[in-house]
Amino acid sequence: MSISKVVPILAVACALLGGCSTARWTVKPHQRELLADRIMQPDGNAQETAADDHVLSNREGAIGGSGTSGGGCGCN
Amino acid sequence: MRLQLRPPLGRLAAFAGAAFCVSALLVAPARATQDAAARLTLFREPSSANAGISVVHPQLDLGTTLGPDFHLAAGYEVDIVSGATPSVYRVDAVSTATKFSDTRHQVHGALAYQRPTSAWSFGYSYGWESDYRSSAVTGTTTSDLLDHNFTVGLSYTHNFDRVCDANNSNIGDQPLDLKPLTLSAHCFGGEADVTTHKLAIDTFQPSLSWTATPKLLLQLGSTIQILDGFQSNPYRRVLVGMQSRTPQERLPQFRQRYAVFARAVYALPAVRASGLFMARLYEDTWAVQAATGEVVLNKYFGPGLLATVRGRYHVQSGASFYRDARGYLELGPGGQYWTGDRELSPMSNYLTGGKLAFIRHPGQERSSWYVDMELDAKYELLIYHLDSPDAPNADRARAHIVQGAFSLRF
Repeated sequence: MSISKVVPILAVACALLGGCSTARWTVKPHQRELLADRIMQPDGNAQETAADDHVLSNREGAIGGSGTSGGGCGCN
Repeated sequence: MRLQLRPPLGRLAAFAGAAFCVSALLVAPARATQDAAARLTLFREPSSANAGISVVHPQLDLGTTLGPDFHLAAGYEVDIVSGATPSVYRVDAVSTATKFSDTRHQVHGALAYQRPTSAWSFGYSYGWESDYRSSAVTGTTTSDLLDHNFTVGLSYTHNFDRVCDANNSNIGDQPLDLKPLTLSAHCFGGEADVTTHKLAIDTFQPSLSWTATPKLLLQLGSTIQILDGFQSNPYRRVLVGMQSRTPQERLPQFRQRYAVFARAVYALPAVRASGLFMARLYEDTWAVQAATGEVVLNKYFGPGLLATVRGRYHVQSGASFYRDARGYLELGPGGQYWTGDRELSPMSNYLTGGKLAFIRHPGQERSSWYVDMELDAKYELLIYHLDSPDAPNADRARAHIVQGAFSLRF
């Protein structure tokens, strides 16, 4: 399956996930202790992520996969 | 690539920008939080036939809060590359490898504005080396939705890059006569034997994070990149056909790249650990298709030691116009393009390694001049699997990556 077909499917899946999220499913602020830990942040160290991406992006034909900085547990 | 020491106006502007950022850090309010991080990456790709490739990559990043809502960051990094590489991609090319060295500098700065449920940041970077100039502007926004359970993010970067090349304006429509760039000494100086090409790069990165449970974070994202301009290595030549023609590498002017990825981070509080899983699919208009998977495990030992283990696998197809050196020799080019770039060949690689982080937080019961500090040591091994002994860089089967870092928040 080509990526041009995967993107719309993922978009629909995201919309459905968003629409289905009710208060019953949400994680409360007092339940976020584990999520706030640095080992739960996908890109917790921006400098290290940049260095790793720099090494691999110059040696592979593919890009992407490191996300948008700032996304995470909503602990701000 | 040869080292050139000449300060163009763009570099002076970059220094002025960096000086402004550093000045802002120094005059920041005394109660602000500052952060500093230094990192040194050593990359070594040994060869079975020549000196291989070595890269030394130091990074320095500084940041400070400006009031309750703003954060200002600035950084500087360098790539010092040296080694040996064949000037012509052909069968048994490694025996003709020639030594080279080059240095790439980059300065960057960013201003971020953060509110309880959203954040915006704008950044600029300028990179320069003897034969390449890069200016990039970046805007990023994130927004928390539904009681912080979802975070929508969008990042956009535009590069205004310039590439030095040999002046091939006299060859007409005979691409097999393309001459390579042999020296960078005349680049960006207005000399007649060289010319400058533009390369514009637009990169969009949307993402959606979902705090699924108190132990599970999920993320979906995409990267869309559009490149328009000169993308060849101006020094590289390819032996094409049986007539011993060795024109400069020739790549298409346009490339559109698409990637989608999914990540999951799961907490294991009973053992003070977490696991991160990532999968990525990639495709572009040069017919490169790729799949990547990654697993990262983190575990605390005691109050101040964090160990990380990482494993990664990547597999890709080659570009539609790629052939190995014997294929270009015996069959000629596959269309009007030819390349000797390993990135565009069918290949796979494995990466495995680990990191130890020593973390120190002063206890809350006593005051300290710092908030936290960290010392990192990391080693990773990258192993390549190429599909032909005549593929590019077939003599370099593995790479060692060593990293050391120190960060401080005060």
